[in-house]
Amino acid sequence: MNKLGKKNNWKAYLYILPLMVLSFSLVYYCIINTVAVSFTDWDGMSDIYKIVGFQNYAKMLADPVFWTAVTNNVLFFIGTVFIQAGLGFFLALLLKKKLPGSNLFKAIYFMPIAMATSIITAIFKIIMDPTNGALNQFLRAIHLDALAMSWLGDQKIALVSVIAVNIFQWMGFSMITYYAGLMALPDDVYEAAKIDGAGFWRTTVSITFPMLKSTTNLLLVLGIVGSLKTFDLVKLLTAGGPGRATTVMNTYLYEKAFNDFNAGGAASIGVAILIIAIVMSFLQIKLGKED
Amino acid sequence: MKKHKLKSIAPTYAVLILFAIIWVLPLIIAVTKSFTINGLGNYAYVLNYDKINYFQVIFNSMSIAVISALTVTVITALAAFAFSKMHFKGGKIIYGAVLACLAVPIAAVTTPLFSVIKNLGLLDSHFGVILPLIAFNAPMMLLMLKNYFDTIPDELLESARIDGASTFRIWYEFMVPLSVPMIANVLVLTFIYSWNDYLVPLLVMRSESNYPVTLAAQFFMSSTYQSPVDVARIYAVMILLALPSILVYLFSQKFLVAGITAGSVKG
Repeated sequence: MNKLGKKNNWKAYLYILPLMVLSFSLVYYCIINTVAVSFTDWDGMSDIYKIVGFQNYAKMLADPVFWTAVTNNVLFFIGTVFIQAGLGFFLALLLKKKLPGSNLFKAIYFMPIAMATSIITAIFKIIMDPTNGALNQFLRAIHLDALAMSWLGDQKIALVSVIAVNIFQWMGFSMITYYAGLMALPDDVYEAAKIDGAGFWRTTVSITFPMLKSTTNLLLVLGIVGSLKTFDLVKLLTAGGPGRATTVMNTYLYEKAFNDFNAGGAASIGVAILIIAIVMSFLQIKLGKED
Repeated sequence: MKKHKLKSIAPTYAVLILFAIIWVLPLIIAVTKSFTINGLGNYAYVLNYDKINYFQVIFNSMSIAVISALTVTVITALAAFAFSKMHFKGGKIIYGAVLACLAVPIAAVTTPLFSVIKNLGLLDSHFGVILPLIAFNAPMMLLMLKNYFDTIPDELLESARIDGASTFRIWYEFMVPLSVPMIANVLVLTFIYSWNDYLVPLLVMRSESNYPVTLAAQFFMSSTYQSPVDVARIYAVMILLALPSILVYLFSQKFLVAGITAGSVKG
């Protein structure tokens, strides 16, 4: 029952010391500094700044671009998570049959996660190029010229294209997570369903999916976290454009900090992101435990 | 009987193959196009490019990813041991405070991060990239290791203690060997996340000789890609730059997949 040693084992502090120095101190410095800077008009470089109270927050809340970014983050989350989880669940169901070659399919679906977003976006940017891109060349070749769009340059479709690339990169994650969940389900439930004469779809909808509720919840939280972390994908595919069509909170923050030299304004967006992120951290830990 | 079976598995295969084609198609397009016009010449062009040396780029990414992964693994394995197996004042609060940062995106704190790296004199250096990667990857890895350490029974360590082993010996002679699968997960996962990171090197690196893979890829992208020759060359660049991480993936796939599901992390 007694863990290593006495009630208060001072040695423990030595074991956590490297983590506290190399991780905790930097992460918390950044968080506290962001909160502090959000109350100033600092430009991010000079030594001169004024304390401006809640002005940055007032400006942020009145800024239509900020709300466009928030909306895009929400749309990104919804678009990504439902298609990704749906497809991942469906493919996990098929892979659960353990047909020969299943491992190869799993490896293929999962591979983009190991590749850098920087490289994936480069490849997709050329594929989606309106004139020379392979996608439009293919569409024209099969006489679907009407569908050959400016995938990343058209206000109406750009966000959808960005979401599609994100699904390409992360679908394997949902698939593997559901697969692990499916493997953990007891077999006798299926036996009972079979005896009752329930077919594949019936079993899936009324037994399998509800039993994987905790997996689905976890994927929802991770979807919010993923949307909140999205930066490279958007910056490299569209740089937030055309116009503001694909601007998300992180790219808007970056723009404010490094293009407009408005560190105070950037920090207020940072605080908004941090609040959601910290709530999500605890939800993720809680759901991870249930899983 | 056999015919019936074939009939029932055919649609499954059809769907699995359809999606597999969609998922490998971008890579196939990239590979095929990279050989157009100049054939292997496109690859020779990249390997002999004067401003960006391919092997230097790979070396930069490799050292950043290896040092980050090793450091994160060691510091989280030490700390997870304390949080999991020792009693100490404030232990739970400190653990909670570290985990609170689990989902904090680096992108939300770019300004202070940049000024810290600048004030430490680490701009345009490998350590300027490594330090933030360690700091922001560690909380997730700590969670994974602590959860794993919790499953190792205290009695096992207690018997070593009775035999007179010191706390540190218990850590490296029992705890670490008993946790090899999860330690491997943490190592591989941190390696991949550090290798693939774009934002931190974007903030820190200045000179092309210090570029890791992610910045080098964008360096080539920012040059024009209008003519078919440029497109072929850029695809060759991407293939060459993606190759090491694809190889790492193929060799460490088991650990990577297990690690990602164990922690349920999104990078």
